[in-house]
Formats: sequence, C-alpha cells, structure tokens
Amino acid sequence: MNEISILMHLLSRRVGLYEFGATEDELLRYLNIKGKNKHVYLKQLIIDLSNYIEPLGYHIKFNPLNFYWYLSINSEISDLFKTNPFEGHPSLAATLFCTLACCLKNEGYTQIQEIIKLRKKKNLSEDLKELSKKGYLLIDHNNNEIRLTPLIGYQLDLNQLFMNLALKKSETSSKN
Amino acid sequence: MGYDDISEELTNYIDTVKEDVVTGKISLLELELNPIFNELKESLNVYNIFNYSQTYEKACDLLSLKFEELKNLLNHLDNDEIFMQFLKSKPNDIEIEQILGNCWREVFHLKSISPEFMIYSNRRFSKDRLFIEKIEHVRKEQTGGSFLLEIPRQKFTEKMMDFYNLIKNKLPCKFDELFDEIQDQMEVYEYFVYILHLLQIGLLKYQKTTTIIYE
Repeated sequence: MNEISILMHLLSRRVGLYEFGATEDELLRYLNIKGKNKHVYLKQLIIDLSNYIEPLGYHIKFNPLNFYWYLSINSEISDLFKTNPFEGHPSLAATLFCTLACCLKNEGYTQIQEIIKLRKKKNLSEDLKELSKKGYLLIDHNNNEIRLTPLIGYQLDLNQLFMNLALKKSETSSKN
Repeated sequence: MGYDDISEELTNYIDTVKEDVVTGKISLLELELNPIFNELKESLNVYNIFNYSQTYEKACDLLSLKFEELKNLLNHLDNDEIFMQFLKSKPNDIEIEQILGNCWREVFHLKSISPEFMIYSNRRFSKDRLFIEKIEHVRKEQTGGSFLLEIPRQKFTEKMMDFYNLIKNKLPCKFDELFDEIQDQMEVYEYFVYILHLLQIGLLKYQKTTTIIYE
C-alpha cells in the first residue's frame, strides 16, 4: 500500500450519481498529508501519477463544476469507445449546448424559457427530459428551472470546447 | 563521408508555411512545429552548423508567431460571451454537434474496489511516519580470560565514611576546596556523590549563600 494506490482508488471511485473522484481536501485527508506545503506536495503527487499513467492512456482531470479531481481516459481511446453520447442525435446535442450557454451565465442554473428562446423552438420538453434521464441536468418543474449536474464537467472537456469556439470565431473573423 | 544538410529544404518549408499563414490558408495553431525542430536537431552536426543557424532563426520566428496567435486566441476566450457569439451565427444542430465532437471524454471508474478497501487503507495509512532507530548489535570484546563483574572491594558506606574522615579536618571550608587536590574526573564524581549522601544523612551541612560546607 502506498500513496499512488490510494490516490488511484480515490480518483477512480464513484461518490454519487453524478460525481466521481475526490476533492482536494479529501485527497489530503485520506493521504494524511499535512503541513504548510501540503498543497504543493499533493500537486506533485498528482503530476507524478499523471505522468506515470499517461502511456496507459489515462489522464488526471479536474472538474471545474464541482472541484473534483478524477481519472479520465484519453481522447484517442475515448474515440475508440465512441464516447460521444449524442452521436446521431444533433438536436439533443444542440439543446445541451444552449442549456450549457445559459447555465454558465447564471452560476449553474437557468429558466427553461431562456433555453427555448436561445434554441428558437416552441417546445423542448422531450429534449430536456432525455437530457435529465442521461444525468446532465435536473428539472425543477415548480420554478421552471434547469440546473446542471456535475456530470457534464466530467464528460465534456470544457477547455477544449472553449478552444473550439475560439477557433471557430477566429475562422469566421478571417473570412469576413 | 557525406553529411546530410537539409537546412535549405527546411528554410524553404518554413518560408512556405509563413506565406500560407499570412494568406490565411492555414492557422499556425493547427500546425505542429515539433517535426521542424526535430529534423533540425537530428540532422545538425559540427560540419553543417553554419548553414543551420539561419534555419534555426526562421523556425524560432515561426514559433514566436504561433505564440502570438495563441495569445490572441486566449484573449478571445471570454467564456460566457463565446457561447452566445457562436449561437448568434445561427449554427444548425449538426454544426453544434460538431463543435462538441472532439470534447467528449470517458471517466475512468473502478467499480471493483470496495469502500471497505478504502477504510482499511485509510486506517493503515493515516499514521504518522515514525523513523525507527536502528539498534546496532553490540560486539563482544575479547577480554583475554573469563569475564567477571567487577565488584568494589569496599561497601559504599565504608568508602563514604573514609571520605568523610579525610575531609573532616578541613571543615568548615568552601565546597570547591574539597576537590582542590583531585585531578581524576571520575574521582570528582565519586566524591560528589559521597557529599550528597553525607548531606542527606546530616553529617555535613551546606550554606547556599556562601557555598560553605560544615559539620
């Protein structure tokens, strides 16, 4: 038993319906890392483990939606397993994208009406129900509100998405 | 013996890339520069180093251009706005699906390890690390004969009383004076212990302020 085996377990565990991995505080507590340099030591441990498992096709990632560290499979291998949950369902992907856009503006939640407005569709209830079934969002019917679950932060590389959008923007600007 | 000199070839390639970037045919952000630097490194030797300096300079220019593009890109990354701007361009569902396309990833989740394992390992691991002193095994010294425990010839009280009789005539005197003539440190310790015992049983007395020993 050593730090690496415990860290591997903590990063690869499922803690809730939409939560995997562990927070920094949990990692520090379970690994019994103390002292004023504890954060530096933990970061070094994470970097070392990440370098070690990279050739195996794994990465240590951070979910900015719930501040959990977790293990993910790298994109090449993910492609092999066809991890895109919306392949062949562009309408659902578009609804999720609009939900994401609205929720990121409002600290994780939004009104259903706002998504409908952005999506330019009369009714989105089927899409939202399906997305809720997949675990990406929670619907509050009383307040007509949608809240994102942390799941999207695990499955979608938000940095990559921002990069794609910025590239698209610069591509459009250069065409104009 | 021939030496590869591909500096001209590389310089031409870099010039073409620069031209394509300027005319907007390609984006430097999508172009890998590693192969250029790798080829430079692998074909460089002491015989062609002079030809390579210009090629290296041009490759570095290209790299700084790429940094510039990246900087511009990062400046555009205003997270909330960037979504809206994309949606303003009225993309259809397939275009939106494509933008999400390479962003999906799989979470690695081990179902086989139980929480009991975690609790067990936590118990084992959450202990302060102790640095255990290594105890060296004592070597047996050669004594040259059978080993006997040394027993003093006189009993402690007898030795103490001998000491008392010896110093009795000096008293009263300063505490230090009792040790004036003793050179051996071990004897000083021995006599000091006798004095402590004599003080305890009341044969000697000590005045703290003047450090005088008296009967």
